[in-house]
Amino acid sequence: MATNTRSSRRRIAGTIVLLFAIIALFVVKLVDIQIVRADTLNAESLGNRSVEQPVYGSRGDILDANGVVLAGTVMRYNITLSPRNAAEFTRTTDAGKVTVTVAQAAAEIGALTGKTGDSILAIISGALAKDKGSDYAFVAKAVDVNVFRAVDKLEIPWIYFEKNPSRVYPDGAVAGNLVGFVSSGGEAQAGLELGQDSCLASTNGTETYEKGADGVRLPQSTVTTRQAQNGGDVVTTIDSDLNWYVQQVLAKQATATGAAWGTVVVQEVKTGKLVAVADYPSVDPNNVNGTANHDDRGSRAFTASFEPGSTFKALTAASVLDAGLATPGSKIVAPYRYLPPNGANVNDSSGHADLNLTLTGVLIESSNTGMSKFGELLSDQQRYDYMTRFGLGKATEAQFPAEDSGILHAFGNWDSQTKYATMFGQGLTTTALQISSIYQTIGNNGVRLPVQLVEGCRHADGTMTEVPATAGSQVVSASAARDTADMLEMVYQKGWLAAKWNIPGYRVAAKTGTAQMPDGKGSYTHGYLVSVSGFAPADDPEYVVSVSLADPVKLNSSAASAPIFQEVMSQVLKKYRAVPSGAAAPALPGTW
Amino acid sequence: MSDNLARILRPNWDSTPDTSPSQDTRHIEIVSTRSQRRARPRIVYALSAVAGMTTIVVVQLLLSVGISQGAYEVSRLQASQVELGRTAESVTEDLVRISSPQSLAANAEALGMVSTSNPVYLRLSDGAVLGAPASATGSQGGSASLVPNALLAGVPLVTQLPQGAGQGASVGGAAVGAAAKVADVAPKALPNGIPTPATR
Repeated sequence: MATNTRSSRRRIAGTIVLLFAIIALFVVKLVDIQIVRADTLNAESLGNRSVEQPVYGSRGDILDANGVVLAGTVMRYNITLSPRNAAEFTRTTDAGKVTVTVAQAAAEIGALTGKTGDSILAIISGALAKDKGSDYAFVAKAVDVNVFRAVDKLEIPWIYFEKNPSRVYPDGAVAGNLVGFVSSGGEAQAGLELGQDSCLASTNGTETYEKGADGVRLPQSTVTTRQAQNGGDVVTTIDSDLNWYVQQVLAKQATATGAAWGTVVVQEVKTGKLVAVADYPSVDPNNVNGTANHDDRGSRAFTASFEPGSTFKALTAASVLDAGLATPGSKIVAPYRYLPPNGANVNDSSGHADLNLTLTGVLIESSNTGMSKFGELLSDQQRYDYMTRFGLGKATEAQFPAEDSGILHAFGNWDSQTKYATMFGQGLTTTALQISSIYQTIGNNGVRLPVQLVEGCRHADGTMTEVPATAGSQVVSASAARDTADMLEMVYQKGWLAAKWNIPGYRVAAKTGTAQMPDGKGSYTHGYLVSVSGFAPADDPEYVVSVSLADPVKLNSSAASAPIFQEVMSQVLKKYRAVPSGAAAPALPGTW
Repeated sequence: MSDNLARILRPNWDSTPDTSPSQDTRHIEIVSTRSQRRARPRIVYALSAVAGMTTIVVVQLLLSVGISQGAYEVSRLQASQVELGRTAESVTEDLVRISSPQSLAANAEALGMVSTSNPVYLRLSDGAVLGAPASATGSQGGSASLVPNALLAGVPLVTQLPQGAGQGASVGGAAVGAAAKVADVAPKALPNGIPTPATR
């Protein structure tokens, strides 16, 4: 009886211990699953049924002044394949099941993507040779939706697609040099794409959703884990139609005269806005590799500075008039060679007897010696101050990437020759933009306005940010500017190109320039940079047109650039409905 | 006990057939007490409970079927939305491309148009002619496009399209096909210039 009790008690104790051991085991396991490894397991289970996918924010557009898209974002598709899975498969067609071999499939893909079937097979074998388990190889990058759909329709099980948001430039090379381009990876590389990247850039988001066994998205399971942000639109001041026309005219004349490069700038006198900036050669951002020379991929109007030559004389004349040291009728004798007391040596471009010229006549004849005699009325410092106030020596307000500031040495560093050379546009360099800005100032009653290429960054809600300042500065007095404009009108009427650049019905003020081009080693090449700058209508200036052609080997004078000026200015006046001038220009005597 | 009751209940047909004839039709029943009646479950409750549960199960099933059907519907519509979005984007792209200045100029020139850079204005208030009239020669007439646009490669001019190519196979074809209809109604070339009315 006693042993019986003891054994039963022992059995009960054993059972309890066993029971507790089992419960403890369960508790430990429970804690392990529910608490210790909970996150990992949750993520793993979610991973089995949830899908994460990127949500692409779209990069902003670059628009012209009228809202025409110069650069936009489109969805393109990369076609990839899995080399290790590339095998024949059966396709269900109307005629029943058909077996498609790899070679057949490759030929079909090739026909749609513009490659040969063999090259597709080479991609497969090449990838497998490198890595036997290769699961990923590119067939074609950035194909459009039509190709994507056609390839998708082939229903080849080892072909996959990736989204690849790409840039497209609907107007091609129109303003291509300004707009710039992005790399195939979407990195901004040049032009406004680069300069305005902070406005344009978008951020991609992600979203996850859960899917059923059949791949169908479960309702209410979509979670946006990161919001995609679209980029803002850059609104430029460019008119794409006008820019096309200007580029066309420039390219035609540049080809005809064998010029190395050329630029044309069209600027609004009363706002400082650039309505057209044409470069030749110009890059087509859709096909950047088609432009072999890297220098041709940017905008030389912004990035190339040169010695402007005689177009610069307008600045010297305006400075002298503003200082009250001369009038348009002031008289000097202009010799062929002028040897000032400081030891400089100034020559005119061709030999002539002494000429009795007024300041107006100096501009008409474009006499270096005559301009030197007027320029020396001002001190070096005064002239330097005028130049900086006209915007020389520093990049314009357009904020174009890699914009050149031009070279304007401090007046203390000018040697004897430079002191005189800077009066007629040698010994310093300017960009086409800076020259245009000088003429804008003269046309706008002496008020220089900031050069404006971008109106701002427009966001999705319609607000504009980064709007540039538009406050102008009085550089020379209104009367000095007016007198300079009148003199430039005489140049247009009486200069040697008067017949070539005549625009019937309008009064125009313009000046030519023919400057020797430096070879980059301290001396000059045989080539010339020929230019014409001016504005119209002269009685109420609206538009500046500034043309520069570098080294037109077939016609090495401003006669090469004058037809461009004439055609572009005519088009500008017509396009913007400028009212033809009524009164005749005031007649100023050029000689005495 | 019920045995007992049953026996008592059984009518005594043989022994006393006529003593009490009315007793033949008399029906005796044991009436359950109120508490007994209350305690006994009623079948209607069970039925209604079962029916309710069945209804819930059926409704839930239908709802779930409906939701998953909706999921397929949503999925199908989303797929079709994506497809339509792609089509819209592709067609817009074609439109923007053929409205580029290069395309417009090439087509205008192909149709025989020339541009003039010599504007003349007629002021309505006093009939004054502003500017110097001259006939248009086409300032860049006939010159090939010098401003490249890689997107236009392979896009035919309106004059190169076959007649009645309105139903283009591709999206791009349809877009330029619409332009071809314009070409159909374009006036014929006038060798003697635009006819002027003889007004006296």
